Amino acid sequence: MKRNVAIIGGGQTYHKARRHDVDQAEMVNEAVRSALKDAKMTIDEIDLVILGNMEFFEGVHMTDCWLVHGTGAYGKQGLKITTGGTVGATVVCAAAHHVASGLFDKVLCIGFEKQEEGDTGAILSGVAHPLWGRSLAGAAVGYFAMLGSSYMAAWGAKEEHSAMVAVKARQNARKNKYAHLKLDITIEDALNSRMLAYPIRMLDMCPASNGACAMILADEKTAKSRSRKPVWMRAMETVHNEQFELDWRDVLTKRSIFSKVCASRLYKKLGVTKPADYFDVFEVYEPATWAELLWYEDLGLCGPGEGFKLIERGTTNIEGPLPVNPSGGVLSTNCIGASAMLRIWEAALQIRGDAGEHQVPKEVRRALTTAYGGTNWTVMTALSKTLDD
Amino acid sequence: MTKKETEWISIPMTVDVPYRFAAGQYLTRCLTELRDNGKLLAVECPECKRVQLPPRIVCAECHVKNGRWVELGSEGTLVGFTIMYLPMTDPTTGKPHDPPFVYGSIRLDGATSVLDHFVHVEPDLAKVWIGMRCSMVLRPREDRIGDLNDILYFDPLPGQKKLQA
Repeated sequence: MKRNVAIIGGGQTYHKARRHDVDQAEMVNEAVRSALKDAKMTIDEIDLVILGNMEFFEGVHMTDCWLVHGTGAYGKQGLKITTGGTVGATVVCAAAHHVASGLFDKVLCIGFEKQEEGDTGAILSGVAHPLWGRSLAGAAVGYFAMLGSSYMAAWGAKEEHSAMVAVKARQNARKNKYAHLKLDITIEDALNSRMLAYPIRMLDMCPASNGACAMILADEKTAKSRSRKPVWMRAMETVHNEQFELDWRDVLTKRSIFSKVCASRLYKKLGVTKPADYFDVFEVYEPATWAELLWYEDLGLCGPGEGFKLIERGTTNIEGPLPVNPSGGVLSTNCIGASAMLRIWEAALQIRGDAGEHQVPKEVRRALTTAYGGTNWTVMTALSKTLDD
Repeated sequence: MTKKETEWISIPMTVDVPYRFAAGQYLTRCLTELRDNGKLLAVECPECKRVQLPPRIVCAECHVKNGRWVELGSEGTLVGFTIMYLPMTDPTTGKPHDPPFVYGSIRLDGATSVLDHFVHVEPDLAKVWIGMRCSMVLRPREDRIGDLNDILYFDPLPGQKKLQA
């Protein structure tokens, strides 16, 4: 990067299914105030505000304009970003580019979604090709269901393996005071939960959450003078594929799929050959259990078709050698526009040692985060404790 | 003294958005052919040779104009499926389908892309599997309107059996 960039503060709201007690600006402002407090900064010091959420998921759009009092963007430079599930990571990526370019020193990033106010399912039908992408009443559940069925057929995984992911997420969430679904569940509970779309059961899917996350990114000089524990943005990468043409559900595909290409480009930038040795913790974007198993493979933490063996062995547990989603992940909290930013913020908390009860019990120097946007693109972010890591 | 519950006002509203989708050059040709002659056309990229659905003017990977039209077979292979238990609304018709129903991702013979559609089988895991061969069933000519719904569903080809895992 042209200039080094660090996360010098951040914060999040509590995530819940209902937040009738606040409007959108009030909810966003909770996260903004918490991030400013964490960074020991005032809004006057911020050069640029980048806001992200999904258009119309709250039944409204142009939130960058009318939430301006809550975001703190009044009288400042501002941008609005909407890129599907990747929103929060794209906001951070854009902020990092702005700081790295030398044009801005302190950028406030915000991601939020207040899903209870809108009809996410209905609006989701408008995010894909109007004929090919909307048909068949499957929505995200149907898509992940087909991923699960093809994964099981290809590799011999069982429903028990997705249940293990469901349990890990919710048990980790119980340690995270901000998480939405803090469920004390067992594998049997997951396997007995209501079938939504074979093989996806209720506990295999993420909830619809309300919540917001905010982070402040700064240049090296500001970070070193203002922050006791800056977390460095070491590399970012974004890769798109074309929908329908390269199908993510085809787990046996030999073609270069976005997630694998993105990981390999990011590793090349960092000079990483063994990601499982290099990174200490992972926060991946898993709206459904099966997606997490695929991430293990696409990130090269194991070979193709071995993802389900990692969860079986407990490798990715909070106290395991490769902790994945100690926060509880998207499976426990999905406030869409904030979800991908929460991956980055949670990874930053792990590096700072500030994750509280869900802090992984080992030294964390490097972390990797991912995001999904729609079904065909990703943003990945690598973070480190020092500029030497 | 009784504790007064905090009141929060939340006002229900509906946003009804009319919408008209312009299919454009490539998809119009595909849909008129489907409607008039019952054939499904795809386009092939001159460079990578991928046969793409829905037909589109530019190959995203090679960024060249797709020129050659390819008529796909009416049979294909199921590459993914689900049994849907939710009464979800089909956004293209506004009507819910009665669950449970099966739908899947089918790779038609000759195509690189897949097509998602209903699979006309009982919602029974013994009767649907990945690798199952299917054939496309269209509405009668007089009912076809030039929409993806002109395809009714995919029927499993007779005489197949699920291989035991």
